[in-house]
Amino acid sequence: MNTVTAPRAVPAPSRARPWMQLRGELVLLLVGLLAFVLFPHDLGLLTNMATMSIFALSLSLVLGQAGIATLGQAALYGSGAYVAGWTALYLTADPIAGLLLGGLGGGVIAVLSGAVMLRSTKLTLVMLTIAVAQLLLELANWARWLTGGDDGLAGFNIAPLFGIWEFSFLSYTGYFYALGALVLVYFLLRNVVESPFGLTAKAIRQDPGRVQALGGRVYLHLLAVYTVGGIVAGLAGALTAQTSKVANLFMLDFSTSAGVVVMIVLGGTRRLSGAVLGTVAYMTIHHIASTLNPYHWLFIIGSMLIVVLIVLPEGLIGLFDRAVAYARQPRRSGVAR
Amino acid sequence: MTIKFVAALAVSLATISFQSRADVIKVGVIAPMSGPFSVVGQTWEGATKAYQKLNGTTVGKHTIEVVYRDLPEINPAQAKALAQELIVKEGAQYIAGLYFTPDTLAVAALAQEAKVPVVIFNASTSSLLDKSDFLLRTSYTLPQMAVPVAKYALEKSVRNVVTLVSDFGPGLDAEKSFTTAFIGGGGKLLEAIRAPLKTTDFGPLMQRVKALKPDALYVFAPGGPSTYAMVKAYNEAGLRTAGVRFLGTAETDEDQLRAIGPELLGIETGMFYSATHNSALNNALIKAFGEVAPKAIPTVQLANAYDGLHVIYRMVQATDGQRDGVKALASAKGYAWESPRGPVKIDPTSREFVQNVYMRVVEKDPSGRFVNREFRTFEMQPDYGRTQNVSK
Amino acid sequence: MSLSLLSSILIDGIAYAMILFMITVGLSMTMGLMRVVNLAHGAFAMLGGFFAATIPQRLGVPAWLGFLLAIALVGLVALLFERILLRRFYGRDDLDQMLVTIGLMFLATAAVNLMFGSTVTSVALPELFNGTVDLGFRSIPRHRLIVVGCGLVVVCVLWLTVDRSSFGIRVRAAVDNAPIARAIGIDTTKIYAATFVMGAALAALGGIAGAELLPMESTYASKYLVILLAVVAVGGNGNLFGSFFAALLLGIVETSMKYMVPQLASAAFFLTMIIVLLVRPQGLFGRHA
Repeated sequence: MNTVTAPRAVPAPSRARPWMQLRGELVLLLVGLLAFVLFPHDLGLLTNMATMSIFALSLSLVLGQAGIATLGQAALYGSGAYVAGWTALYLTADPIAGLLLGGLGGGVIAVLSGAVMLRSTKLTLVMLTIAVAQLLLELANWARWLTGGDDGLAGFNIAPLFGIWEFSFLSYTGYFYALGALVLVYFLLRNVVESPFGLTAKAIRQDPGRVQALGGRVYLHLLAVYTVGGIVAGLAGALTAQTSKVANLFMLDFSTSAGVVVMIVLGGTRRLSGAVLGTVAYMTIHHIASTLNPYHWLFIIGSMLIVVLIVLPEGLIGLFDRAVAYARQPRRSGVAR
Repeated sequence: MTIKFVAALAVSLATISFQSRADVIKVGVIAPMSGPFSVVGQTWEGATKAYQKLNGTTVGKHTIEVVYRDLPEINPAQAKALAQELIVKEGAQYIAGLYFTPDTLAVAALAQEAKVPVVIFNASTSSLLDKSDFLLRTSYTLPQMAVPVAKYALEKSVRNVVTLVSDFGPGLDAEKSFTTAFIGGGGKLLEAIRAPLKTTDFGPLMQRVKALKPDALYVFAPGGPSTYAMVKAYNEAGLRTAGVRFLGTAETDEDQLRAIGPELLGIETGMFYSATHNSALNNALIKAFGEVAPKAIPTVQLANAYDGLHVIYRMVQATDGQRDGVKALASAKGYAWESPRGPVKIDPTSREFVQNVYMRVVEKDPSGRFVNREFRTFEMQPDYGRTQNVSK
Repeated sequence: MSLSLLSSILIDGIAYAMILFMITVGLSMTMGLMRVVNLAHGAFAMLGGFFAATIPQRLGVPAWLGFLLAIALVGLVALLFERILLRRFYGRDDLDQMLVTIGLMFLATAAVNLMFGSTVTSVALPELFNGTVDLGFRSIPRHRLIVVGCGLVVVCVLWLTVDRSSFGIRVRAAVDNAPIARAIGIDTTKIYAATFVMGAALAALGGIAGAELLPMESTYASKYLVILLAVVAVGGNGNLFGSFFAALLLGIVETSMKYMVPQLASAAFFLTMIIVLLVRPQGLFGRHA
């Protein structure tokens, strides 16, 4: 790093193979299909992985890209869930409508709370996000007539997807619904992250002062990012409510927020793919550990977290990167990394 | 829709039947095995083992295998996934367990579709049984417990009362049922205090109670730190010496007796099971339980799980091990039997669990242990949540 | 508001506040000094309580000695954690530091669950603490008065240490400007370790003293984490009196609501925190970031 070398030029995206740009989405789709074929009896778990991945992606955008320290993302997730539930109960059982309204719900809560909170930074911001989520939880608990209180909101039915595919307990429809949403969200977020909007967010994470000096409006930008994150989290919440047919207070809880932070750290905070990888890894390990010996789950997750932080600071995706780099190395011998 | 569903189910079952022998019937129990409520999971596991020790593992030519899945907290999405896995992957014919209401709601939707009988070992909201025709419950509801306590209070010439409950479903159920029954019997409610669920300092609330000077204090708090703090605060505020009766429900369960001990002496509760219930069946159960699960605690969950498995055995017998949810449920409706807690029955129409409610008082037995001594029986109490129309 | 109600609020509120103060002062010092958000701080209080519940019986020593041993043991655990694990993270991202402490919190919770089960464990206090004191309009458990006394003693001792002793001066120098402090020969490594251990020991003391109000159970560390962080955020990092007054403010607000409108007590706590943080993001006594 100390030698003066010409900066390595980043190759422009190849026009000859535009589909390579979609490789993340294609991998997701392929893995999703493969999972369906290999584990047809675990679709419940796989559906949850897909919805949780979307939730993790929202946090990856907000925390990983823009550096907004939040331990209250569950507020947006839970809001989306409840809105989807109310939609199904009082408006229409159409899943897409519920999904979009859920996303909207998450976005509205995000923009309202973000407007107040985002003037603060670091610890103050973390505390505010926790407090806002906590207040929302208390409010939802108090409004039993609306939310069902701690019993949860249930008893709503979801109409067939696009009028054709029924949601049965075997989860075929549910799984593809969630997987499709995941791939779409990933595609959208990746474009956001690679766009000037996303690059500005990254810049703000690294040095807000500099961005301000360059004329950027940090506060508004962060608010916009936070709102997008809120919409995505709301979508995830709506999906969860629709596939499990229950929305409940726990979705607003601090431990839900903390859990998804652990997931993206495991996978790799700085990359969207890390969010998905971390969620899948976490839930898979939880599933296996649970079946083998549920009593020691906390030991496993605690040690895993510490080990990953020490040994793999970039997360599991870092492991993947290293493997890819290692595989590529022989062809580029002689060039200093 | 039906054709698709049947085809899908057939495919799944065809693949499963390759894996399992036809005469092993699996019961999938969704329980909190890890986390803050792991005591419950441990007791359930011990209970089902004890049941099978006392009653054998077979019904006719079918072997009953109980498998457990961990659900440590409220997570309906995961509850549904676990139930699905148990039915589709493990081939379970019956689902059981379920500690929390939201989790049960998620599983109820699934049960209705898959026509799989679900026996609830705990979740106590009255309206749960309405969510699916395939739900049964072998635990209790708060109204079922609260009304007899109100009657007892009136019997003891308690004229006015203050209620203090934790602000969540069961607490509010208890408050409503107790108050309705108490006022209906001519009593007076001085104040209904609701404590936030996370409250650990009941000092201020007990001071308030003291200022109101009621004849009795009716409480409901979930087990654990809340109950501990509440009882301590009650004693510290001098309410016992001031002559304010402490009337409760689940606050003196076995695990609380062991954790809190002396502070609970003299407290009266109305509940459906005490580990020291003196019947031959219960004594045999406690002994077997102590042998198969020496570290587990004989709380009310022991009776819940025991009776739950008993109903499942009955359903297996009635269907001769075949998958027939409707027939299974039909055999359970109206079924009455002798439980370790006393006589019990499943109501033929509402499927509600009818049982005795005992008034007990905490005492020290000759060996120095703290026990709930039953001294008054209210026989075959129905779920008052339905009759009083107080449930959601 | 009657005099009786007011004095009740003050007594109970101050007792609760003292416990919060004792537990959080260490966290505040650690955050101000090392800029590490130690989410496992509640675990130190929890371990203190659990050790205090079991050591007297296990070793057959009087309660006093048992409590001191418990506090010392927690200090040792903290020292080991700081040396072996936390030190690697000083140069790293805030988030990474927070996360390694979350990992510790999980481990501590799992360990307690394994050793003590998941039900409530009561800490047996010496006979001296039991019983009540009659003040005429109400009686207070003697234990609460002792907690208040304890808190005041801690605040005085800390103030003398931080303000008067040479150790305290070095700590304040390190808080103000670590690189310069190192440049003039202050061994910041030792200061960090010592402060961290002291903070953990104080947390253990707070946990033991507060075991009546905040009962010991395996989910203690995560349950009260949010409350602890709130006190630190409101008080401002690294400030002794900040911690003290924040604890008083939040403790009394929550207690008064408990007396007047119990259902809103928790909401009032968080609302107060939000208001303070919006008006003064650095906390009541914090320095501008």
